[in-house]
Amino acid sequence: MISVRHLSKHFGDLVVLSDINADIREGEVITIIGPSGTGKSTFLRCLNLLETPTGGSIVIDGVPLLDKKTDVPKLRQKMGMVFQSFNLYAHLTVLENLTTGPVKLLSKSKAEAGQKAMELLKLVGLAEKAYSFPDELSGGQKQRVAIARCMAMDPEILLFDEPTSALDPTMVSEVLAVIRRLAKEGITMIIVTHEMEFARNISNRVFYMDEGVIYEEGSPQQIFGNPQREKTRAFIHRIRSFHHHIASRDYDLYALQAAIEAFCDKHMLLKKTKDHVVHIAEEVLGLQLTFNDVNLYLHYSEKDGTVEMVCDSAGSAVNPLEEGALSDDIALRLIRARTEKAEYRYKNGRNVLTLKMKGE
Amino acid sequence: MRHRLSFLILVALLVLAGCHRQDTVITSLAMLKGGKTFAVPTGTVADQFVLKKVPDAKIKYFNSALDCAIALKTGKVDMIGAGLSITEERAKKVLFSESYYPSGIAVLVKAGSVIPQQGGEMLRTIDDIKDKRIGVFLGSIHDAYAAKYYPQATILEYQSVADMLIALTTEKIDVAFYDDAALPDVLHSNKSVAIMAKNVFFASVAAGFKKNNDTLRQQFNAFLQEIIVNGIYNDMISRWMERGLTDMPEIKSSGKNGPLKVGVVNDIGLPSAIYKNGRVVGFDIELGERFAAYTGRVYIPVNTQFSSMLAAVSAGKIDMITSFMMITEERAKQIDFSDPYYASGASVIALKKNIAGFREEGEGMKKVSFLRKLSNSFYDNIILERRYMLILNGLKVTVIITVLAALLGTILGGLVCLLRMSKSAFWSATAAAFITLIRGTPVLVLLMIIFYIIFASVNINPVLVAVIAFGINFGAYVSEMFRTSIESIDKGQREAGIAGGFTKVQTFIHIIMPQALRTVLPVYKGEFISLMKMTSIVGYIAVQDLTKAGDIIRSRTFDAFFPLIMAAVIYLALAWLLTWGLGKVEISVDPKRKRIRKAVEVRL
Repeated sequence: MISVRHLSKHFGDLVVLSDINADIREGEVITIIGPSGTGKSTFLRCLNLLETPTGGSIVIDGVPLLDKKTDVPKLRQKMGMVFQSFNLYAHLTVLENLTTGPVKLLSKSKAEAGQKAMELLKLVGLAEKAYSFPDELSGGQKQRVAIARCMAMDPEILLFDEPTSALDPTMVSEVLAVIRRLAKEGITMIIVTHEMEFARNISNRVFYMDEGVIYEEGSPQQIFGNPQREKTRAFIHRIRSFHHHIASRDYDLYALQAAIEAFCDKHMLLKKTKDHVVHIAEEVLGLQLTFNDVNLYLHYSEKDGTVEMVCDSAGSAVNPLEEGALSDDIALRLIRARTEKAEYRYKNGRNVLTLKMKGE
Repeated sequence: MRHRLSFLILVALLVLAGCHRQDTVITSLAMLKGGKTFAVPTGTVADQFVLKKVPDAKIKYFNSALDCAIALKTGKVDMIGAGLSITEERAKKVLFSESYYPSGIAVLVKAGSVIPQQGGEMLRTIDDIKDKRIGVFLGSIHDAYAAKYYPQATILEYQSVADMLIALTTEKIDVAFYDDAALPDVLHSNKSVAIMAKNVFFASVAAGFKKNNDTLRQQFNAFLQEIIVNGIYNDMISRWMERGLTDMPEIKSSGKNGPLKVGVVNDIGLPSAIYKNGRVVGFDIELGERFAAYTGRVYIPVNTQFSSMLAAVSAGKIDMITSFMMITEERAKQIDFSDPYYASGASVIALKKNIAGFREEGEGMKKVSFLRKLSNSFYDNIILERRYMLILNGLKVTVIITVLAALLGTILGGLVCLLRMSKSAFWSATAAAFITLIRGTPVLVLLMIIFYIIFASVNINPVLVAVIAFGINFGAYVSEMFRTSIESIDKGQREAGIAGGFTKVQTFIHIIMPQALRTVLPVYKGEFISLMKMTSIVGYIAVQDLTKAGDIIRSRTFDAFFPLIMAAVIYLALAWLLTWGLGKVEISVDPKRKRIRKAVEVRL
């Protein structure tokens, strides 16, 4: 139904979308997730040409959107859009917000449009607010009206641009409930959202966007349960990272320890965990044979509270985890005692040691 | 009658060369010897003077100086002594002989009423005005004269004679120069004013034409000669200048040769032109009508400010000027003059109480109650000569200009706003430049630029010019109002409209405009009212609006109170009406009010 090829969008020198490719079938519910500023909203806005793409093609129902001859307003009538900031027409009542499109664009009679509007308002639970003005509604109510307004046009596609981001936490659920209900009716929906649980439950497919492309896509089970790529994983597990590079044997250990402590404090790790991390970092570095090119990483997952330490160094393959490989067994024992899991790999000429800290 | 020779001017023999001034040069009285004919107006002393010097000269008596001049020009006489002063300007046009009589100027106070008084503030002689505040009519010959001869005096220039007279009676000025011929009318309506010095100097009055429009000018000269010969001229002089009658004869023109647009000042006062019973009458009007009939054209008087008369004739707005305009060197540079049709004396007037030794004669100074005065004033200013018609017509013009200018300005403002908000940097900059330019120019200047420069050579109704000028001005202001009110509607609603399938234009009409309208109306209302009040300057391009109507009445009655208060009250009423009307619109675009209506519908 929607086919996107090599879509790109630049704002001046800033490349927001570099190369988007996607196919969306009729009736699918797609959620788009990803860190802020990776072009999720821009991609959505390109789909109904609120933003004009810099390059590429978009075909909707076989109609090339970027063709000059295409009647874009006509096409947009079939694609509703729900905005983060609701964007209700401030001078019209709730009912008129719903009827103005059908009356003015679909040449429906006022009575017919009004009847349908009332049904939709009942559906979103706001029939009694029909004669209110938008400024008299709460955020959640406004967003439900906005969704009903889109539905009044009998759309084939609904685009949601972070529909709950501007809402009070107490109002998020009422809006999500309405979207869930619509999802069951077989309308093609593309939802940009930060509500991970919601995305996981509602969608057929999840797009993870990063670096201006669809970085990883798959079923919700795959994306949320077993993300394949590093950035996806980091995002899903809400991983915060720390990196330190060492280039000589005379590195400043105390400065490194202070930096690790600062990282742990920032993410509010327990003092015990912090002490362990600092200690193990020292021991891991003690295991290194050369210090010409050593990277030390810390990954803290906000989601499950785990801390992972990765140390990779250039040099010939030496597995420090093998008994007797090194002279100092005490360090190894210390490490084993304080980690849940320790792995060694030799990859691309680098020794990679991955340690998973024991939880509390 | 003569008390004192206060101001010496040389009254000279005017020798007007028949065809070219180089041909016949008669510069000495001695040349009259040998039975030459000498023409003089009756009642002067010139004849005796000439006869004393040249006993064998033949003397012919004419009614006026102008008759003499015409006779000279047509070769009926050889020389005239018409009591004309030698002036620099005249010396360029005609040849003067040596001066033959030193003439004194009379200070007009009654014989026997001179009581020697001490106290330097009283005006005794013409010399006394040298350090006073002198009122003159802007751009008049008096203006130049006063500036030249009374450099120490404060000279105040007035746009209309009425203003000047009111300034005199309210003692904003001490004395005023005024055309002697027009004085009877003024003195009749202003009992507190009297002549302080009569005929301080003379100047020739002539019709003005666009440079190099010799055909019309020569036609006029021929016409002048004809009416002098057939006596119509004398009749006119007698009616307008001497007897002070204000009845216009019926003059029929075949009108087959098109219109003749003649610049006049409707409210300049008698004898030139005044308003009477809703129409303009006066010596100049009759002269113009007669000339139009003579040439078979339709007489169209074009009311013009005296100060913009030259520009109007040069620009071709009018074909000619008959507005008691005196020939000056400066004016002659810009326009061509006909032969003079009147020699006008300039007199100095002042309040009676400021003239030394002037005794109140008690006439017209009876005690009148305030209410009585008020009702008299109302009658004189509003009822008499159907002057309310002037106000009604002026009101109509004001309303027409305001409404049309607002309409034009609103459309123009919308267009400019569209350009200003366009994505194209060029159009946006063009619109911004237009707005800056118009907002930085006084609307009066803009009005005159459009009238005298842009439409200089186009025959266009001044009302239309006013509509265009005010429309442009209004457009520049409201375009910025439109822009800010449109920009005040959050971008999200526009996006929602577009995403919902509306085109850009539909989004604007159905979503943005109804909301922008609500924010723009309060400021628009203010601008509309200020536009209405601004139109009061259209008198500058001779449109008779409400203000001008008040001016005209003022010029007849010399009463500032009623015409000004009346105009103010009508403007106020108009402003109130506009506020009320736009207030209704304002309420109708308020969505909250609509909801009440909706709620009522639901209940039904």
